[in-house]
Amino acid sequence: MSSIRMTLAGVSSIAGVKSNDTMSSWLKRSARALGLPLLGLLVFLLIWQAGAKQIHTSLGEFPGPSQVYQQTLSLIADHNAERARETDFYERQEQRNAERIAKDPSYEPKIREYTGKPTFFDQIGTSLVTVLAGFFIAGLIAIPLGICIGLNGALYSALNPIIQLFKPVSPLAWLPLVTMVVSAVYVTPDPLFAKSFLTSLFTVSLCCLWPTLINTAVGVSAVSPDLQNVSKVLRLSWGTHVVKIVLPSSVPMIFTGLRLSLGIAWMVLIAAEMLAQNPGLGKFVWDEFQNGSSDSLGRIMVAVLVIGLIGFLLDRIMLLLQRAFSWDKNAITR
Amino acid sequence: MKTTLNRRSLCKKVVLATAVGLATLSASTAALAEIGYPEKEELKFGFIKLTDMAPLAIAYEKHYFEDEGLYVTLEAQANWKVLLDRVIDGQLDGAHMLAGQPLGATIGFGTKADIITAFSMDLNGNGITVSNDIWEQMKPNIPVGADGKPVHPIKADALKPVVDKYKAEGKPFNMGMVFPVSTHNYELRYWLAAGGIHPGYYAPEKGDISGQLQADALLSVTPPPQMPATMEAGTIYGYCVGEPWNQQAVFKGIGVPVITDYEIWKDNPEKVFGVSKEWADKYPNTHIRVVKAMIRAAKWLDENNNANRPEAVEILSRPTYVGADAEVIANSMTGTFEYEKGDKREVPDFNVFFRYNATYPYYSDAIWYLTQMRRWGQIAEQKPDSWYMDIAKKVYRPDIYALAAKELIADGVMDAADFPDFDSEDGFKAPQTQFIDGITYDGKKPNEYLEKFNIGLKGADKI
Amino acid sequence: MSLSKHLELTGVSIEFPTPKGPFKALDNVNLKIEKGEFVSLIGHSGCGKSTVLNIVAGLHKATTGGVVLEGKEVDEPGPERAVVFQNHSLLPWLSAYENVELAVKQVFKGQKSKAEMKAWIEHNLELVHMTHAMHKRPDEISGGMKQRVGIARALAMEPQVLLMDEPFGALDALTRAHLQDSLMEIQKDLNNTVIMITHDVDEAVLLSDRIVMMTNGPAATVGEILKVELPRPRDRIALADDPQYNHYRHQVLSFLYEKQRKVEDIGQHRSVKKSEEEAVELPKKRAHG
Repeated sequence: MSSIRMTLAGVSSIAGVKSNDTMSSWLKRSARALGLPLLGLLVFLLIWQAGAKQIHTSLGEFPGPSQVYQQTLSLIADHNAERARETDFYERQEQRNAERIAKDPSYEPKIREYTGKPTFFDQIGTSLVTVLAGFFIAGLIAIPLGICIGLNGALYSALNPIIQLFKPVSPLAWLPLVTMVVSAVYVTPDPLFAKSFLTSLFTVSLCCLWPTLINTAVGVSAVSPDLQNVSKVLRLSWGTHVVKIVLPSSVPMIFTGLRLSLGIAWMVLIAAEMLAQNPGLGKFVWDEFQNGSSDSLGRIMVAVLVIGLIGFLLDRIMLLLQRAFSWDKNAITR
Repeated sequence: MKTTLNRRSLCKKVVLATAVGLATLSASTAALAEIGYPEKEELKFGFIKLTDMAPLAIAYEKHYFEDEGLYVTLEAQANWKVLLDRVIDGQLDGAHMLAGQPLGATIGFGTKADIITAFSMDLNGNGITVSNDIWEQMKPNIPVGADGKPVHPIKADALKPVVDKYKAEGKPFNMGMVFPVSTHNYELRYWLAAGGIHPGYYAPEKGDISGQLQADALLSVTPPPQMPATMEAGTIYGYCVGEPWNQQAVFKGIGVPVITDYEIWKDNPEKVFGVSKEWADKYPNTHIRVVKAMIRAAKWLDENNNANRPEAVEILSRPTYVGADAEVIANSMTGTFEYEKGDKREVPDFNVFFRYNATYPYYSDAIWYLTQMRRWGQIAEQKPDSWYMDIAKKVYRPDIYALAAKELIADGVMDAADFPDFDSEDGFKAPQTQFIDGITYDGKKPNEYLEKFNIGLKGADKI
Repeated sequence: MSLSKHLELTGVSIEFPTPKGPFKALDNVNLKIEKGEFVSLIGHSGCGKSTVLNIVAGLHKATTGGVVLEGKEVDEPGPERAVVFQNHSLLPWLSAYENVELAVKQVFKGQKSKAEMKAWIEHNLELVHMTHAMHKRPDEISGGMKQRVGIARALAMEPQVLLMDEPFGALDALTRAHLQDSLMEIQKDLNNTVIMITHDVDEAVLLSDRIVMMTNGPAATVGEILKVELPRPRDRIALADDPQYNHYRHQVLSFLYEKQRKVEDIGQHRSVKKSEEEAVELPKKRAHG
């Protein structure tokens, strides 16, 4: 009986005839999936607009959505203007190079990077590059180390106090040390990376590697005893055991750790950029705060929203990666 | 063709002379040889968000740096300490500095490092602001003129009863300045001390660098852009800072500027362009070219009776430079200064960038800062006059300035009349008299000068 | 010990350290198993059946006594004693095919060519009727199918002894019957030696040549051994009315519920192995008294 009904439903949907029943339930579902978040957003915007008017700072009213929109446009205009200046800069430079060659034929012309200020969008790019590089380095350290710790109980016991000690350290505490160490250690006449980039990078790495490290270690050490027995019965060598059983089995935990790490990395980076005046969105926020112009709060609000949006997108991307690479679909919704 | 040959042969001669070690060429002969291409073309200069960084912004925006073959990046710094540290460790090639910074670094007050300057960035440009509350308490002590407005300059005598009241109540009277060796610190101290308010001593030998020993008013460091916010928060009752941060207080309605530094010491030297000595020795051509570009920028800023100032205001108001609202910056940059809200007065020389030889690094200016360091204990022991002279010559480099200026004259960009007469200039301004307390300053006699103050260390005094 | 059997457990005892002192789980277990014989171990939870199996598998080490297979002492796990685990224990990130492949590659490394391996893997999956879903991953197939793959993996190792730890315990009755029939067929074809742990009296009687009934722990040991002399192939429907079959059933039941009466905690029934040890420590009530 039930199988017949199912077949009928299948036929009708293939024919493109949705019964009223399924149609209304579809509508209900879409309303839930789209409508409620939209409603929430709308209510938020209204409260924001109304609330902003009530807050008077010495820099004027707190920015509401309309001011944020204006400042977004102005930031885009600034960006375009800066790009135009950049084009002029290169044109002038070529002309100067040509003049110099005319005077001094032995001169080998070179094109120098644009010396203008990074725009808001350049700062977004810098922050993204920094956070991904810092996160990548953290992963490069945390995953292998986590595997070693997870496989070796003695090592775990030995390192656990250190991990627990460093895990809760705020980026702001690391920053001066990292800055001084980078300045002292990274001395080259022709630096490939700016010191400020390295400082942000290592601060981010130091702060965000812990969740990955701990989750990897736990994932590795918590391989189900059944799977370990399988490995024993098959007499897998240690190497094969690690590669075929331990690593795949800890992938969901590693990804959970990586996702946490990336979230932390993004938050840490903004704070580090603000404090150290290193290029990026954090510096943008700080600069605008320092400028104290009547546009500053609006611009800071734009940055706040962009920081949130990027944080959200980074998390979604990690989720997609996790979906693609992780076998444990249950772990993903966590 | 012929001239090229001549120049080449001359160049050869110079090279030969140097190689043989016969460095007997007089300065004027050397100046005939064209300055070589810059050794370093890509440069990064730091600045603090203040209107007196204008020569850097203008040299960049008007492409004066590029004219010298220099590709400069300008970068705002968080505070004066960070800025100085970054110049010392080489992250910055040079920076907009407080006049006291190269001197303080050289004598080892704070971070010890050899920093030199060949370019003075401006005269005047600072003000002292107090909070609305303090202003109301000061007001009864200030004489009112025929126009019903307070008579300027306002002396610290008007503030003294307020400070005494706080002292009697056991409340600390806190004020902000931007750095221990900053002009603002010395100006604020000068003004307070002239009104009988003791601003406190430093005792670096004993590890006290708070500068609050025996103080009636407690001064502490706050970065310039944070001054208004810090006063708004009630942490300090007043401050001495450069523009636009005094005018910002008026605009925000949180405080009242009471005096400009122009009135404390007319045409006082302010910021300088500092580089590390190591850098200057390594890149001499680059250094001269930087100074050239900045002299041009300074001239542009003052040209035709400040005609370019509105454009300068627009440039400075960009977020990448000072970033404050244009009208706030315009208030001081275009020859006026607003005290109490609505009390806008003409101060044509509030910001001087070029006239009165503002860009020339006078030894006497350096020595004035050293006398103030001694006065307030940053220099703990008595030093002979010759020591003041030696330090000034080590840090202030009019020789490099002269090379740049002569080059500009040779290029036809500037007139000899724009500069001091380099043949007779000895680096000392004539004794200056226009201080708020009427004391005369003669840079050649620092110890004698110190004797004239009621408040402050002198002779063999020690803390 | 002149003529050794195929598989021999001699005086096997085992003690586990606990915070309260050593706990003796097994005491003097002796068992001789012929080649090709199907032996079931039955007993109440906590009687140490799984421990016996684990000792044979080499996953546990006997405190005294030992296991000899084909004249060779067992001291570590190995593919010649393949285990079918109670909860299938497939690697969740590998497909059915890959799970079997892992075992085949390990066991026949250097002995079979790639093509031979592929054929062998497919052959074993076919034995358990899993050809249609061999590229699906464990989370995409039903519990019964997972258990089939587990069996295929064990069979693919060509073990001398197949050890099965309540292989059908977690399955519904219908699926279980299917799998039991499959197992009998495979056993008929391959003639493996099988040791199977079960709770299910019908399953034990239906499948086994001998049923080893274990006494309750602690210090559990072999209580009785029942030889099941029903002709093969066995048909579950025909046997349902067979007096001989019911006689065997009755004997097992009477051992379990009269001679070795024990009240089980509900929920312990489908417990995983390790909880059997815990179960021993539960207070023993006599509810049927």
